Formats: sequence, C-alpha cells, structure tokens
Amino acid sequence: MATIDSHSSESETHDEHGHDHDHPAWLAHHFDTPEQQFDSGKLGIWLFLTTEILFFSGMFCAYAMFRMLRPEVFEGCSQFLNTKLGAINTGVLLFSSLTMAWAVRCAQTEEYKKLVVMIASTLSCAMVFLGVKSIEYSHKWGMGLLPPGSYFYDEANPHPTAQQIVDQHGFSESTAYFLTHSLYYLCAPFALLLIGVFAWLVWAKVTDNKFQYACAKPLLVVCLSFFGGVGLGMVLESGGGEHTVAHVDGDHGAADAGHGHADHEHAEDAHAAETHAAAPALDVESDDVAMELLAESDLNTGAKAMLEAKQAQTAMASGQVVPPGVEADMGIATVEKDVQTKRQAGVFFGIYYCMTGVHAIHILAGIGVLVWLLIRAIRHDFNRQYFGPVDYVGLYWHLVDLIWIYLFPLLYLIR
Amino acid sequence: MIPALTNLTRPMPFLADVEDSFWFPKQASSFASEVDWVYDFILYICIAFFVPMMAFMVWTMFKYTKKKGTKAESQVTHNTPLELAWSIGPSVLLVWMFVQGSISYLDMRTPPEGSYDVGVQAFKWGWTMDYGSGTFHPELHIVKDEPTKLSMRSTDVIHSLYIPAFRAKKDIVPGRYNYMWFKPTVASEKVSDEELAKAKKQSEGSDGWDYDKYQFTPDGYTFFDLYCAEYCGTNHSEMQTAVVVHETQEELDAWIKANSSRPEDQTPAEWGQLLYNRRGCSGCHSNDGSKLVGPSFKDVYASQHALASGDNVVVDDNYIRESIIAPKAKVVAGYQPVMPSYKGQLSDDDIESIIAYLKSISSNTAAPAAE
Amino acid sequence: MSTAITSRDPGYPTDRENYLTNSSGILSWIFTLDHKRIGLMYLVGVMTAFAVGGLLALAIRLHLLDPEGWMFTGAEANNIYNQVFTLHGAIMVFLFIIPSIPAALGNFLVPVMLGAKDVAFPRLNLSSFYLWCFGAIFFVSALFSSGLDTGWTFYTPYSTTTDTSVILATLGAFILGFSSIFTGLNFIVTINTMRPPGMTWFKMPLFLWATYATSIIQVLATPVLGITLLLLIAERTMHVGIFDPEFNGDPVTYQHFFWFYSHPAVYIMILPAFGIISELISVHSHKHIFGYRFIAYSSIAIALLGFLVWGHHMFTSGMSSLTTIIFSALTFTVSVPSAIKVFNWLATMYKGSISLTTPMCYAISFIFLFTIGGLTGLFLGTLATDLHLHDTYFVVAHFHYVMVGGTLIAFLGGVFHWWPKMVGKMYNEFHGRIASLLVFLGFNGTFLPQFVLGSRGMPRRYATYDPEFAFLHQMSTYGALLLGCGLLYAFIVLMASLAKGRRAPANPWGGATLEWACTSPPPYYNFERPPVVGDPYDFHNIEWDSQEEKYISTEPERKLVPEEQPAEVPAHH
Repeated sequence: MATIDSHSSESETHDEHGHDHDHPAWLAHHFDTPEQQFDSGKLGIWLFLTTEILFFSGMFCAYAMFRMLRPEVFEGCSQFLNTKLGAINTGVLLFSSLTMAWAVRCAQTEEYKKLVVMIASTLSCAMVFLGVKSIEYSHKWGMGLLPPGSYFYDEANPHPTAQQIVDQHGFSESTAYFLTHSLYYLCAPFALLLIGVFAWLVWAKVTDNKFQYACAKPLLVVCLSFFGGVGLGMVLESGGGEHTVAHVDGDHGAADAGHGHADHEHAEDAHAAETHAAAPALDVESDDVAMELLAESDLNTGAKAMLEAKQAQTAMASGQVVPPGVEADMGIATVEKDVQTKRQAGVFFGIYYCMTGVHAIHILAGIGVLVWLLIRAIRHDFNRQYFGPVDYVGLYWHLVDLIWIYLFPLLYLIR
Repeated sequence: MIPALTNLTRPMPFLADVEDSFWFPKQASSFASEVDWVYDFILYICIAFFVPMMAFMVWTMFKYTKKKGTKAESQVTHNTPLELAWSIGPSVLLVWMFVQGSISYLDMRTPPEGSYDVGVQAFKWGWTMDYGSGTFHPELHIVKDEPTKLSMRSTDVIHSLYIPAFRAKKDIVPGRYNYMWFKPTVASEKVSDEELAKAKKQSEGSDGWDYDKYQFTPDGYTFFDLYCAEYCGTNHSEMQTAVVVHETQEELDAWIKANSSRPEDQTPAEWGQLLYNRRGCSGCHSNDGSKLVGPSFKDVYASQHALASGDNVVVDDNYIRESIIAPKAKVVAGYQPVMPSYKGQLSDDDIESIIAYLKSISSNTAAPAAE
Repeated sequence: MSTAITSRDPGYPTDRENYLTNSSGILSWIFTLDHKRIGLMYLVGVMTAFAVGGLLALAIRLHLLDPEGWMFTGAEANNIYNQVFTLHGAIMVFLFIIPSIPAALGNFLVPVMLGAKDVAFPRLNLSSFYLWCFGAIFFVSALFSSGLDTGWTFYTPYSTTTDTSVILATLGAFILGFSSIFTGLNFIVTINTMRPPGMTWFKMPLFLWATYATSIIQVLATPVLGITLLLLIAERTMHVGIFDPEFNGDPVTYQHFFWFYSHPAVYIMILPAFGIISELISVHSHKHIFGYRFIAYSSIAIALLGFLVWGHHMFTSGMSSLTTIIFSALTFTVSVPSAIKVFNWLATMYKGSISLTTPMCYAISFIFLFTIGGLTGLFLGTLATDLHLHDTYFVVAHFHYVMVGGTLIAFLGGVFHWWPKMVGKMYNEFHGRIASLLVFLGFNGTFLPQFVLGSRGMPRRYATYDPEFAFLHQMSTYGALLLGCGLLYAFIVLMASLAKGRRAPANPWGGATLEWACTSPPPYYNFERPPVVGDPYDFHNIEWDSQEEKYISTEPERKLVPEEQPAEVPAHH
C-alpha cells in the first residue's frame, strides 16, 4: 500500500471524492465501494483459474493423443503406479477442500480461531500430499521408471544399486547416487524448513513475541505433516511394492502357460516382454525396431513398404540375394510389441511426470499463498466485509484439487 | 570487400527465361497451370477490390481535407443494409475461392495408381533419392508425363521438399512417412557436348559442381530447382538439388544404370570422390582441411584421433567402414554424434571406393601398424 | 460564437496534479502503481526492443544484398544469419508487437478512456511490467550465451537437438507469456467492473472494445503457449517423448500446440491496431465512426474465430485432407470481419472534415498496407496456392504487411496521436508527416518485391540464394534502409518535441473520448469526479479555437447521470 505516490494522493482523492461512507484501510484507493473491489477480485480469480485450466489442458491433450496412439503402453505402465497411494492423496486433497471451504465461512463470520485452525489443516493436508508424492517419486526414480531419455527399468532387477546403475545403464555416478537416494534429496528442503520453523518458534517464545509465536506454532505442525505423509507413504509403498511383486510372481506360471496366447492380460504382457528381453529379437538395431513399430501403425500405411525396401537393401549390401517377389521376413510379425522398451514406456512416464510435477508445483504455490493467508488470519485482517483473499485462495485451492481428481483416474485407475 | 552496389551492374536475370511470367517460374508440371490459374483468379478479384477502394480513399482524402474547425458534412452513424451488403457480398467470392482451391488441392493430394515411386531421404543438409535396386543419387530424375510419387522420410529434423516449377511442396517429418506426387510436363534439355566438356574442365579442381553457375547438371541436363523449404539449421539454404525430367523411361533407365555402380573405366578413388559429393558426405566433411560439422577428410586416413569416449583410434579401413555403417559408435572428440547410418545404402564396392578416395587425399601414406 | 456558449476546457495541470511530476525520484517510478507511468515505462521498453529487433532486421537485409551473403562472412556466416533472423523474429514478436499496443498504449489509455482512476489490480500491473523485463533479460542472456537458431517458432525436433540456448529463450517467452496474461486479465476486469456510471458497453470507445477482445485472447490462448514451452523445456532436459520423434514423440503435435496459441497471438497483435485506427480515423475526420456496432462486434468475432484457424500454418505438414480443408474454410471466415472494418473506416472518412495530421497519415497508410496484407492472406488461405507459397518470401511479405504495415503503423499513429496527452508536448507536424511518408515508401519498397520473390519460389530463412533472385532482394534491402531512415526520423521528431515542443492543450485533435476531457498530461487520479459520459464519437459540440490552437467543448455542463446498472450486459465469455 505504502508506495510513494499512492500514499501522497490517497487522502486527496478521498477528500475530493466526497464519499459519504468512510474509505476503510482495506479498500484500495481506486475502488469506490467494497462491492466493486470484491467483484473485481472475484472476476480476476475466475479468469486466472480459466488460464490454469487451459494451461493443464495442453497436457491433457497430449495425454489423450498418446493414449490413442499407444493404448497398450498406457495400460501397461499405469500398473506401476500405486493405486493406494493415489487414493490416499485424493482423500487428503478432498478433505483439504472441505477445510478450505470452511475457512472461507469462518472468515465471513469472523471466527478467527477457527479460521486459523482451518487454514492450518488445509496446509497440513497439502504437506501430507507432498510427502506421499515424494515417496512415489523417489520409489520410481530408484527403479528407473523415468522419461524415455533416461528410462532404465529392468524387471529382472527392479531395484538396482547405484553401482549397477552406473555399470549397466551408463549413468554418471552422481546421477546414480541421486536416483538411489532421491528420497533424502526430496525431504531435505522440508527438513530444513522444519528446523527453521522450530528455531523461530523457540526464538518467539524466548523473546515473548506473541504474534510470531502464534504464527510459528501452526507452521510447525504443518511442516511435521510432511513427514507424516512420508511415513504413511513408506508404509503403503512397501506393502504395495510387495503386492506388485507378488502379483507378477503369481502370474509367472500363467504367463508361461499363456505365452503366445492372443488375449494377453496386461501383467502377463509386461512379463512376457521381460521374457523376451533376453531373446535375440530385441538385439535388432533400435532404429529398425522403431521403424517396424512404425510399420505396424495404421498412420503409416507406407512404412511397411519402405521397411521392406530398406531390408532388401540391407540384405543386398551384405551380399545376400533376395529373389524378387519374396518378402524378406525380418520379423515384423515376430517382434514383440514390447511395452517396456525405453522409447515406449518412457512416453507414459514422461507424461506422468509432466502432469503430476506441474500439479505439485501448483500445490507448492498454494502452500505459499496459504501461509500468507494464515499470517493475515492470525493478524485478524479479515472481516465480514473483507474476506476476498480467503475466498480467492479457496477457489484456487479447489481448482488444484479438481485437477488431481482428474489426474488420479486418468493415470492410476484406467487400465 | 567488394561493395554490394556493384552487383547492380551485373546483369540480373530477373526474368531469366522468356517463358516465365512475372509472378511465376516456368510451368513444368500438370499442377502448375492449375495453381497459376487459381492464383491469377484471386489476384484479379483482389485488384478489383483494392484499386477502387484505394482510389476512393485517396479521393476522399483530397476532397474532404478541410480547414481546422470545419464541421463534417454528415454525421451519419450507420446504415445497416449497406453494412450487411458489404459483409455478405464478398463472402460469396470467398466461398468460390475456397472451393476452387480445395478442388485443386484434392487433385494434388491423391496420387494416381501405378505412379513411378522414388524414395526420398532428407538429412542435414542434403537429399538422397532412392531409385531402388541400390541406386542412390542426390539429384531427382524422373520421366516426362509420368505421374511420380515421392515417399519421403527424414533422418533428423523436419525438412520440406519444394519444387517451385512444379508448384509442389510437402514437409518431411521425422518419425513418419510423407508422400507427394506430381506429373512433370516439361522435359530437361541436354546441353551440347562441347559446352558440357568446357564446364567439366572449368570445374576441375574446385570441389563439387556449381549448379547455379552452369545451369545444367554434370550429366549435361538443364534442371529445375529443388529446395528445402522448412528451416533445418546451419546450411538450410544450401540444401538444394536438381530435378531432371527425362523424355522417356528408357533414358531414365539408362541414367540409373550408369549411376548404380562404379563404371568399369573408373578407379575406386574417382568413384569414391563422386560418392563423396553425391551422397552428402561433402555437406559435413570438407576435403580441404576446414572443420565443418564433421572432421575434414583431408589427411584423415591413417591419422590418429581422440574419441569422445576418451580412447584413441587410428583411422584405418576398418574404422572408416564402421563409421559409415554405425557412425555413432566411435565419435571423434569435439564433434556431435549426428551422422546418419549408411548401412544398406552403400555397397561393399562403394565403401571400398570411399576408402580409396580418402587414401588418395591423405598425405599419411604410411599404413599404420594396425594389424 | 465562443462567447455565446460557455466553453469548457480543463486547462493545464499543475505540477502537483501532473502524473509525471506529482512525485519524483527514481523510486517513485520503480514502485509506481499508476497505470500511466507503467504505460510509459512499457513504451520505453518496447521501443528499445523494437530498436534492437529493427537493427537485426537491417542486418538480415544487408546480408541478402548478395546471393552468397554480404554482411556476414567466414565459416560461421550461415550460423550467424540464422541466429540473427531468429532473434529478429523472437524479439519483434515476444518483446515488441505483443506488448506494444496493449501493454504500452493500453495501460496508459484503458482507465482514462473508461473514466476510471486506475486498472483493477495496480500491483499485478506493475508485476506484469517487471515480468516483461525479466523475459527480456532471458532473451538477452540467450543472445549472449550461445545464441538461438531455431526460428522464433521453436519447431521440434530442431529445437530439442540444436546446441544453442533454447532453454533460456523458451523460459523468456514463458515469462513474457505470463506478463501478457496478467495484462489481459487486468483489462478484462477493469472494463467489466470499473466503468463509471453512464459508461455502458456501447458508450465505450472502440479502442476499448478492441482491447477487450485482445485481452480475451491473451487470457485464453497464452496459457497453452506456456505449457507448450514448458513441455519443450522438459523435452530438452528430460526427453519426455512428447515432441521428439527420437523418443517416440510427434513433432506435428508440437506444431498444433504452438499454433493454437500463436495464431490467436496474431490477433493479439492486430486487434488493438484496429482499435487505434477506429479512433484515429474518426477523430481526424471529425465525423462519427460509421457502423460502431459492426466494428465492435467484428472485434469479438475475430477474437473467437481466431481460435479455430491455427491449422492453416500447417497445410503442408501432412494433416489429413479433411482437416486441411476444414481449416482452409475456417480461415476464410476470419477475413470477413476484417473486411467489414476497412469498409467502415472508408465510409467514416467519406463526407468528413479531414485534418491530414501525422496520426491521420499513419491511419491512411494503415488502411492501404493492411488491405494488401489482408488480401494476400487469401492466396495463403486457398489450399492450391498455399502449397506453392507456403514457407516462401510471399508469406514473409504477407505477415510483414499485417504486422508492420498494420500493427507497427497503427502503433506509430497511436503514439503520435496520444503523444501530447502522454508527455504534454506538441511535436512538429510538418516533420512528423514527412517521416510518415518515408516510412510508407520504405515499407513498400522493402516488402512489395518480396511478394514476387515468394511466388517465384524463393524459400524463406535462406542465408544464401540463387542468383536469379538477386535483383529483387537488393530492391528489398534498399527499401529497408529507407524504412530505417523514416523510423529514425519519426523518433527524432518525437524526441525533439520533448525539448522544444509547444505545451499541449487538453484536446489538440478534437476528440470526444474521455482522455481528451482531462488535462495533458492527465492528473495522477485521472478524473476529479467521475466524468460525464457521452457518445465517444459525437463531435457536434467540439469547436476549434484558432487563437489558442486547441479544441474546446461547448457542451453545456451536464448533471451526472443517475447511478444505474448498465443497460446491456454482454456475454464476455
């Protein structure tokens, strides 16, 4: 408010306006009435939410397109996502929406204590969400379930050591160390935050600064919630992990028996692919594999012809003679449509990380504004005429939740 | 530096060919007259609107420029029937343009059955046309009045094949095949043998053939320009080649035969040099020691190089062969692994010839003790 | 006459009122929340960006003097040329044209024209400006690290494989996108909620309608660019496999995403220019704008139709025939509202009382140049001819006729028109007019030859070219030099006015919109009392005072209209 020029003229404008009502401190000088200010803010936040929706819509489009192009990859890879963790996070976010809506109500009715509690619970839920998410992320990074540029998952050894990552997959040692210890890296900033808030709390207590103490107390709980989320995630992920392994093990026999069966179930598919990983079929040069996959796609009607031509040329270059009219079978029909080749599976994880990552950034931004709200709430800034900021942040928070409500089924559930 | 102004004194072939119209290069395909017709049609409509409108504007400007303070003659605010008329009226013409354009477009999209098929591979920065049976050449050779279909792929980034004389263009997107077709209607002419011999003599010693200078191909045919129209990096503007239209299929077959493998009377080194220019090597590897995208070929044979992986390698027959088949396996330090594989595109004899050529331009004659 | 009716004239502002002088010190500018000061800072910013982009354009033209390239020599010549044209495009599009009219003139004018004290969110407004600065810094740092050679469109997979600073530049564009979104959001809210009593939707000046339509596009289209660039960065750093075919992605998807923003962005550039021209033509013809509603509605129509035509940038990319034909048809529909505007402007001039002032000269140039730009668009919307003309100099000439002949000329016209209002000084009319003539001639000299180059088959973005194109290229280069001189001349005219210009009266042109009802420059708070709102194009009561060389309103003082809700509430989504 206190900028140099607005300050000097603010009083002036009021005087000259001759408004018959007073111009309270929370009413900006260029607005005439509180209603005008509230309406402007409301329209502004709705427009902002529109841009957010459009921002995400780009990724939803990409999701739809690649799901259409490669449905089997999406079905196969969503198997790696832990539905339990996703469901927990959905519940947590839904609950946080409830507390947020309640907070808006409290701001309107000027119940300050309750308002602080509600905002703090919303914040805690956001932290739990991030805690669970960091378990999910770190778990996948360790397994090599990464975007296609760095994907290295190997079903025979799903949890490689750092040394194995360096040796077998050609990563640098620092990257390998990061991948195997990513949970620590993800937790570190929050741990620092926790320590900072705790120090602040102690300092506020010592100096007997009531306001700061009142701010630090809920924030400490909020920071602790992150580690609550991590703990919760760890319990469920290890259980879930075993579950996945058991699932694959359980299918082992079935996969062997059903191999070659036209109607694969997904887990078998993934497993069958693993069986083939060792088979020479995949030793074909990766360019050729890509082209063969291209040739199978309906979008590239001519690819097959070109592929044959190329193979014929290869054969001729290496001295073989292919009689005209005889199709060289280089294995278009026999190459397994491998869900877990880098290029294929990575696309799913590329989209997964983009969507959930951008969503997580929105959660972080939400945490930022909620902390600001929390402090203002403790300062008793809001009243029945001026509760706009709580309302606007609430709307933003609901949108972030809503996006997750779409992400959860799209990524975790649809198979 | 020569001041650019002197260029104006040089005769500029603005309308190089009397057959050219003001707007267009020569019409050399079945599409050309159709496209030009649609173009002219829109042009005349535009002129019919533009000239009266601007005349009206200039007239108003002179007629109604008044002394300051003069009131306007009229303050009419609107005239709905008039406005509706000039909103809806021209729309009829727009529909007409759209329909004309789309009909011609559909013709250009659908290749007729049994077209002559040429494979096209675009790469940074050159073209390889695949005539089947192992014949590759950077020039596009086709037959007059024969519908020709191009099946195009790119090994790196997006390119676009554009032949202005045919009024035909299509992007080449990596990861998928794109097709285009056309029917050339004007055959290339063959220049006299003396002229060709003279040009050949002139170009001896310089690297490569200067198409722009001679306006005919090394085989002595006049040609149509083929450009890359989608920006693709450093030498985008040099990603050009020639389109030669033969009178008959027999003539084309003879040309293909002559280019499919090393003629009896050519040494491997000569053939290797030809391949060096023809197959796009020269785009990235100089033969005079200057550093381009890839290492120069001058003195490369039997020299020692540090690899990106940290090892050292002696450039011998095996290394050259490997680098042609699997270029990304052993990349020389300081260069990007961008070369496409030539696996299956060069016969054994071709590779031998290239090796012979590299030997011929290397001063390191002492064979390394590789064995 | 002047004695018969009491005339009203706000006079001159005192130093304490004047927004330029009411507070001083560099901090009073850095932290200002006043939309007029922010607008002025934007003006300085975009002019600087334009100067840089313009010099790069001259470098391009000079290089093309010779078929083998003249300006840059040596082994890196082609690379330098590629970087120069890329930065020319990127700087002109992202740093100049998109913010030029909406952010610089819009910020200054929207609240004043509307009769409000400020925009709805002054802090957001200031942060938009700083976001613009950050974006510019990113671009500059891209320039000074390893350059950028992707073309301003960042097409994949070239942009994911080149070793230049793509990430810095895309981050810059991403940040500039948010600057643009916040400006648009601010204007929409301002126009919706800050209108004073009596300012109904159809009492708004057409510039506000145009700004409103522009803002809708900014808010709806820019986020898609944001996510596209973000995914491009992800593609480059993590290889997420969405756009890069090497990792199973699809480059054409990138083009769809990119043009879904960037085509509407073309209308972000041209719609505000339409708004300016509507003001200029009407004020300098001293005649009511002809067909107000048609012009207003056509702005909204263009904004909405603009979202449906992005595919026409990709006719040669191998989309299915059906899609291509549908996009072609939709493209033709956009031309109708643009044509309506041109007809209406001509009808406005007819039987008016035209003053051939500098802004009017620019407005007339605009009509000439934009009509060429629009008509040549028909050749590109028609499928058969587009296949030949796509990615040639014909396209280059076409969009320069629209972007430079349209937006830049309108921007210059707007700057000259509102310059007295912004800085309180009059410039030299004679020199202003000469400069506008030079700009007009230089522009045509530069770009008319390029139409012929294009249809004769000269592909764009070529560092070297075949000798048969040399003559036309040289013509174009000499035209560009003339254009450069004209622009420099215009700039000098403006700067000279600051030093020795006559003090500007409140209403130097005889306009009836609200900005002319307050002093030049306006006071900090714009309006002492909510202004009396009338028809923005009613010139009956505006008289020329030849002694004082200014226009005065002879309208009898009206009572404030009673507070009431605006009668018409249009649907704004």
